[in-house]
Amino acid sequence: MILRCTAAGLIVFWALLVSSSRAQEKIVVVVGANAPELEKFAAAELATQWERLYSVDADVSTDIRGNRYAVLVGSPATNPHVKRVLDGSWPQVSDQGIVLKSYRQGDVQGVVVGGGSAVATLWAAYEWGYQHGIRYMFHGDFYPVSAPADYTSDVLNLVMEPKLRVRTWRTVNDFAIGPESWGLADLQALIKQLAKMKFNRVMLSVYPWQPFVHYEFGDVKKETAMHWYGDKFRVDGDVPGKRVFDGAAIFENPDFVGTDSYQKKMNAGIKHARGIMQAAQSLGMTAAISMSPGEFPREFSRALPGSQEVHQLKRLTIGPGPQVGPDDKLFRELVSTKIRAFIETYPELDALYIGMPEFPEWSGHFEEAWDELSGGDGEINGLTLAEVIQTAAERNLIASAERGIQAIKGNIAPLAFFKSLFADQELLKRADGGQVQLVLRSIDPALYPILDQVIPRGAATLNFVDYTSRRVVENRQLLAEVPSTKVPASLILTLADDNVGVLAQSATSSIHELVTDLRHHGWEGFSTRYWMLAELDPTVHYLSRAAFSDDVTVRSAHDELFMALTGKRDVADRLWLAFQYIEQATTLIDEKDIGFGFPVQGMLMKHYSGGPAPAWWAEASELYTKAMIELYRSHDGTHPRARPVLFYYAKRSEYVLEYLAAVSAVRAAGVAKAKDDQDAMLEQLEIAVESMYNAIDTLSDVVRDQSDRGLIAVLINHAYRPLYGEYERALELADQ
Amino acid sequence: MFRLVTVSIVFVVLGTSAFADSWPQFRGVNATGVSAQSENLPVQFSYQDKVRWSVPLGNGIACPVVADERLVATAMVEEERFAVICLNSKNGEEIWRREFETKNLPTIMPPNTQASSTPVIDGERVYVYFSTLGLLAFDLGDGNLVWQHPIPEAFYLLDWGPAHSPIVLDDMVIFCQDDDLSPFILALDKFTGEVRWRTERSEMLAGYSLPVICTANGQTDIVVAGSGKLKGYDPKTGKQRWTCNTLLRTIMTTPAVRGDTIYVSVQSYGDTDRVLRFALLQWKDTNQDEKLAKAELDQAFWAKFAQGDKNKDGFLVGTEIDEAFQAPTNMVGGGNIIQAIRGGGQGDVTETHVVWKLDNKSPSNIASPLVAGDQLFVVKKGGISACFNAEDGASIWEKKRIRNFGNYYASPIAGDGKIYVMGENGYVVVLEQGRKLKVLAKNDMGESCVATPAIANNSLYIRTLTKLYCIAEEIK
Repeated sequence: MILRCTAAGLIVFWALLVSSSRAQEKIVVVVGANAPELEKFAAAELATQWERLYSVDADVSTDIRGNRYAVLVGSPATNPHVKRVLDGSWPQVSDQGIVLKSYRQGDVQGVVVGGGSAVATLWAAYEWGYQHGIRYMFHGDFYPVSAPADYTSDVLNLVMEPKLRVRTWRTVNDFAIGPESWGLADLQALIKQLAKMKFNRVMLSVYPWQPFVHYEFGDVKKETAMHWYGDKFRVDGDVPGKRVFDGAAIFENPDFVGTDSYQKKMNAGIKHARGIMQAAQSLGMTAAISMSPGEFPREFSRALPGSQEVHQLKRLTIGPGPQVGPDDKLFRELVSTKIRAFIETYPELDALYIGMPEFPEWSGHFEEAWDELSGGDGEINGLTLAEVIQTAAERNLIASAERGIQAIKGNIAPLAFFKSLFADQELLKRADGGQVQLVLRSIDPALYPILDQVIPRGAATLNFVDYTSRRVVENRQLLAEVPSTKVPASLILTLADDNVGVLAQSATSSIHELVTDLRHHGWEGFSTRYWMLAELDPTVHYLSRAAFSDDVTVRSAHDELFMALTGKRDVADRLWLAFQYIEQATTLIDEKDIGFGFPVQGMLMKHYSGGPAPAWWAEASELYTKAMIELYRSHDGTHPRARPVLFYYAKRSEYVLEYLAAVSAVRAAGVAKAKDDQDAMLEQLEIAVESMYNAIDTLSDVVRDQSDRGLIAVLINHAYRPLYGEYERALELADQ
Repeated sequence: MFRLVTVSIVFVVLGTSAFADSWPQFRGVNATGVSAQSENLPVQFSYQDKVRWSVPLGNGIACPVVADERLVATAMVEEERFAVICLNSKNGEEIWRREFETKNLPTIMPPNTQASSTPVIDGERVYVYFSTLGLLAFDLGDGNLVWQHPIPEAFYLLDWGPAHSPIVLDDMVIFCQDDDLSPFILALDKFTGEVRWRTERSEMLAGYSLPVICTANGQTDIVVAGSGKLKGYDPKTGKQRWTCNTLLRTIMTTPAVRGDTIYVSVQSYGDTDRVLRFALLQWKDTNQDEKLAKAELDQAFWAKFAQGDKNKDGFLVGTEIDEAFQAPTNMVGGGNIIQAIRGGGQGDVTETHVVWKLDNKSPSNIASPLVAGDQLFVVKKGGISACFNAEDGASIWEKKRIRNFGNYYASPIAGDGKIYVMGENGYVVVLEQGRKLKVLAKNDMGESCVATPAIANNSLYIRTLTKLYCIAEEIK
């Protein structure tokens, strides 16, 4: 009995001991009482990170309250405790500068986590997490496999300034495989992750037919509201992959389910877009919209006499025709109406990107427009129109030769028009009196040397050189031509191209080259271009680091991400190989047939022809096979917590192999058909159907976001169904 | 002794009447996949059509088991919560449910899930295996836990994860756990959970074949297909009676027994020279230096590693890998086989009891063969089917598609003159049982499915990834 009592007493004593030692493991996160909300949020985020990393109690307070360890959040201007411990040694930082600095004062020690602005302080909170092993990825945070060393011996003295001050994340876009399919809830979660990676702008790239703005001109009202160029994606019936749609008959953006009228679509669209912008702004980012002011849904042809169809998928829009000049009053009013509609619909808008047409057709007035731009001199900074046209014709871009000439002519007229249009300062004025920043997008590279002369005063630029980053690297000399000291310039960085499309892609090495150039040439920043997130975690991780440091390489960023994630050197090495193979395959496709995986109708059956299969198909297949093996090998060797991530990559490579097998079989069927060999045709079609089935089925095993579902919806409708239809026709033929 | 006799009698009575149409374990009576009693089974149906009842279960791939009005299924109802659920098989009403915290779940590889082992029912109790809980016996009437027997954790070199299921033979629960660490077969007293016998199967690598019962020449054997060898055990002692050394390295299918013959169909990755070493060097040698380091393997295998590391250089190289993990007496590789082996042997029957064998690419690596009537039917990925004469292995048809693509993890079953083939995509293809491939219907169950359905009470019980359906024609 005595023994039992003693034992019980010991247990109680031990419990008290444990709880009292537990009670000592307490820190305080101190934020200024009058600090901006974002700094208070930074403090809360830091407290969460501390608790998870060190298993301590981390309270947020405005006072140190007798704690021996205090994390001080903010700057001398926002937090008196920071002023007290660091006032003399607070470094000079810009509004984007980050400060992480350990301190000891009397009995209290800790770390200052601050920045030159509230958002910089938030980034500092995440940088503190990064420095302690937390890795921020699209779909969540990964904490280190083992807890870091004792925080009381942690010494930090880090000041970071961005090398690229504009870090824009583009969203919405135009295909079902892209963010146009994502609901707001998912986008909010993604934006939160992007804030952790220090992106500071979200730009919604919208198209004239989408349901994000309504405007009327004369008696014409906008009545077009559709997604994905009007494509509908049925995902029911006997098709692979339907399990990922939870029984839905049609694939939809979840925010638009049940919107069966124009008005409902518009209401949903505006709510969706405002939600994105507000999510971004709540995390200290700016919010922008990118649009094409001179393109309108077809119903506006009545409002613009002499309009012409715009060269675009499905030909859904009209633009000014040859008779409409840059000084056309009616056109000017129509464009102004549209721009005002955006500014009034989105009172929170920080910047408006005005896009030049992808396939410029408004080119008839280029000579008079050039005169206007040159002030009648015929030359701008010594460049003549003929020279500019010659440059466009002779360059090594997709838009070269005739397309290049058309492109430059089609740029000059709109530029003259915009220069005149935006001379009116009222056009970009918000209801609150603030001015929306103007950014001109995708001006023809032949105009780079005179960029500051051809854009409206005060405007910035977002520049597009070519579709893939590899192609831009091939023309990297163009980046040096931009007068970046005179005009704020960002570059569109294609992380994954829609032409290479549905296949696994990586372009991190090319992006590294471009980021190096941007820093070297004094560019302001970049804006991402992508559709699927898929393989992009390593790329975006690289970008987030390289934007703040000259020393980051593709390999160092890869290792920092995957060593932390997988916990193993060997696994990180194998993953390096895997992503190298994927990048090599991306390059191969880009070089040989850039539109190979473009996600549109006919994407598979365009290969149903009689010519021999190109040799590079086998080469691509081999590269993806090597990638897949390395990814599965990495999956087997990794720390268990990284397995879902690596399994996703591995399955995506496996899917690509099935896709390529389907393409090859379709071609073999086409060859058999051309030879009138029905048995061989049927056999190959059967192989193609099975491979495409397996491709989609494989993807369905690892769906993690709406782009993944969108890809399955696209493949079902643009690849599997037409192929199956052909297979059934061949079966019927064989039965006859 | 009195109790044993009584129970044997009860079992016999139940076995011939009340339970004649039961589906007591994976693939029904003795894992044949054949229902002898059910009639008027539906041809055309779906998750919306001819559904007598349906219930949400939770995630799982184990087959439902049925004894007259009782049906038992399992599921993961939360990430670390396992449930055993007893339903009224006629109306789907829940009779009882037992839930367990699972904790520390093992690593598994899809399509395996944590709730993957099929229970076995004997009319009085239901016996359930779960990786972290061991073997559990529940009173079928009220769900009370009768006993629990811990089972050593299974370890798999390639992380497939546990999916072994128990069977009942007379008054014993038989459980075979072929893993890569310490494979064994075990018999427990079904009333108490006490160990009757345990036999090590040290020659085996990981596999998932369910033990089956074969009576031939008046001799009843527990027959287990494992790496390279089909073995017969004495049910009373667990001693090995015979071995037929004609199988392949990895056995995930379960044999089918008809009369005195055991039918095996297997696809094991790679050709006949591909021993385990090659798979390990492919997937576990992370740094690809052509040798295995300790750190590249789960700690559970370090003792085996040490045994194999003959020169003690800290690495397994070449044949050291074989010697560490694959028994020298059983160094088999991959391939494709279909075999008929006569039961009732003694000793090594490799040369004496193989009735016929085919080196044929028809088999699946996971879906088991179906012997219905005098035909052996197999189906594999892509819905590619083949059918052979059970007597002599003569081909009836081969490489014919059942018009449903995708993976096949569930095994085909038969009843009422029809063959039901469940695709992983959630479609059940119904074939006419006959000498020509005839697709009668293709039915959408609306959700992915890995579990083999059950047939009982003139109904199909189909367990999709999260739901259970009872499908039947209207009772006239």
